[in-house]
Amino acid sequence: MGEAELPVDVVLVDDHDMFRAGVRASLDERVRVVGEADSVDSAVAVVHELRPTVVLLDVHLPGGDGGGGAEVLVRCAALLPEVRFLALSVSDAAEDVVAVIRAGARGYVTKAISGPELGDAVVRVAGGDAVFSPRLAGFVLDAFGTADVATGDDELDRLSAREREVMRLIARGHTYREVASDLFISVKTVETHVSAVLRKLQLSNRHELTRWAAARRLL
Amino acid sequence: MTSTERLPLRRPERGRWVGGVAAGLAAHLGVPVALLRALLLVLAAMGAGVVAYVFLWVTVPPGDPVRAAAEQRAPELSRLARRPTLDPARLPVTDIALGLVALAGAALLVADRLGVQVQAQWVVPVLVAVAGLALAWSQLDRTERARWVAGGRTPVSVLRLAGGVVLAVVGVLLLVSQGASMSATINAALAAVAVLLGVALVLAPWWLRLARELTEERAARAREAERADIAAHLHDSVLQSLALIRKQAGDPEAVARVARAQERELRAWLYDDRPEPGTSLAAELAAVVAEVEDIEAVAVETVVVGDRVPDEDTAALLLATREALLNAARHGSPPVTVYLEASEDRVEVFVRDRGEGFDLDGIPHDRFGVRESILGRVRRRGGTAEVTSSPGRGTEVHLTTPLRGEERLRDG
Repeated sequence: MGEAELPVDVVLVDDHDMFRAGVRASLDERVRVVGEADSVDSAVAVVHELRPTVVLLDVHLPGGDGGGGAEVLVRCAALLPEVRFLALSVSDAAEDVVAVIRAGARGYVTKAISGPELGDAVVRVAGGDAVFSPRLAGFVLDAFGTADVATGDDELDRLSAREREVMRLIARGHTYREVASDLFISVKTVETHVSAVLRKLQLSNRHELTRWAAARRLL
Repeated sequence: MTSTERLPLRRPERGRWVGGVAAGLAAHLGVPVALLRALLLVLAAMGAGVVAYVFLWVTVPPGDPVRAAAEQRAPELSRLARRPTLDPARLPVTDIALGLVALAGAALLVADRLGVQVQAQWVVPVLVAVAGLALAWSQLDRTERARWVAGGRTPVSVLRLAGGVVLAVVGVLLLVSQGASMSATINAALAAVAVLLGVALVLAPWWLRLARELTEERAARAREAERADIAAHLHDSVLQSLALIRKQAGDPEAVARVARAQERELRAWLYDDRPEPGTSLAAELAAVVAEVEDIEAVAVETVVVGDRVPDEDTAALLLATREALLNAARHGSPPVTVYLEASEDRVEVFVRDRGEGFDLDGIPHDRFGVRESILGRVRRRGGTAEVTSSPGRGTEVHLTTPLRGEERLRDG
């Protein structure tokens, strides 16, 4: 995890022209929009051609096989370590959000986010960190459980006490900086915890997670 | 019905004497039933009436003509209360038919005993053929007739049809081949079967298309009904809100309030599982948040982990949450967030704002509602309540209620 080079090159993927224009206008000088796409197929083509640092990806997209943002991620899987995806959505539905995260997105923010906050999130993702909105942190706690279940499970299948604390603070609306000062740790350590949680969310086959996903028609 | 449109031809369950043909025809043509019945009786006496009656009985589907008319109208025009329906006592048609056959057989036997020359070579084949017809047609009088036509056959219905066809063919062959030689009968049978096969082959595409069209039409009707549901919802909510917004365009606060309420409602409609009232603490919290958003015209970000069945303790907790949210909206500054976590043994709520923050000890005891309405309410129930506030980081109210019941919902 290093500092990202500024400005960050971004491809904007959303099927609404008005929304793309709004995002372009609200981003500050830390972010440079190098390309845009409005469907699954055009997004895959543009991302492969431009190889931006970050792709701002709408969860709901027309085209392709109807898989939306998650399909773009699957079809760009080969680029994933260098090109990072940040999911944007108006949807509050857990299945939409968790599907793109599990397909490889590095974070999720709602479209109601302010311009400076979106800029922060893009820079953070460009630096290799994960971006969790309060709602995504809530989903994670819901899926992995809030109580410490100390079984001999795979390490991927449960959150450490520290990670759970971090998730709870984020769900309560605290920024990374505030989390760090609450827990008397550095912001870097908070970022490490969040990235670890993201990895678990992406890779875990936890029974609870599977059941939780099934209950929400994810699988 | 004051409609000038003609009712569709159906055999009503109510007010029927035999098969409902006369009643249905009367409703369809708009003439008195008694007149039609008299006419049918006269025709029946001449023979033609019986054929016409049986034909209509078999071909006209059963049902209430008025309801059928309502169903044929576009679904969006018919979202009114349905007419109450009576479940009529059905005439045991099958039993009556069996009785008639038995009576006919008995009459033949009696006639034979009395010395009347019964032409057995005519009567038996006719009876066999009629029995076959009755067997095959009987299932057309079922309400599942449409399903049968569309391809939803059951083994029983196929067996019935096959048996009916065999009986009818045998009857007709016996009738036609009076006194002919065995080989001639077989030839005739082969020819007849060949002709039937040929006709079936010719009619097959038409039949298939009919069946497919029926299925497609039913699917289209279902889609139409769903679309009408969505249209009705959009009309009731979204269009009304847009009209309100346009009317109040000069008042940004009112516009924001209407838009926020509409967004919330649309989200609930699109994304939520809509739990039963009184079963979900999360749903009750959402209602509290909605109320606060409407009163104070601020947006509140809500995150819920877990869920449980509400009880008195959580009701007190929600009241305290409401007060805390109102305080945050009034004295703090956005974003206001609320986080509720229901775990095995307790429910926790955090309400946070990004205001200036304040010093709780510096507030006079009789001045601020926080002490009594928020902290006292929860503490009286055995819970804990604390307020953390520091300049520049806003205020956070932390409420906890221990759970006594075992009613936590699995899986939220």
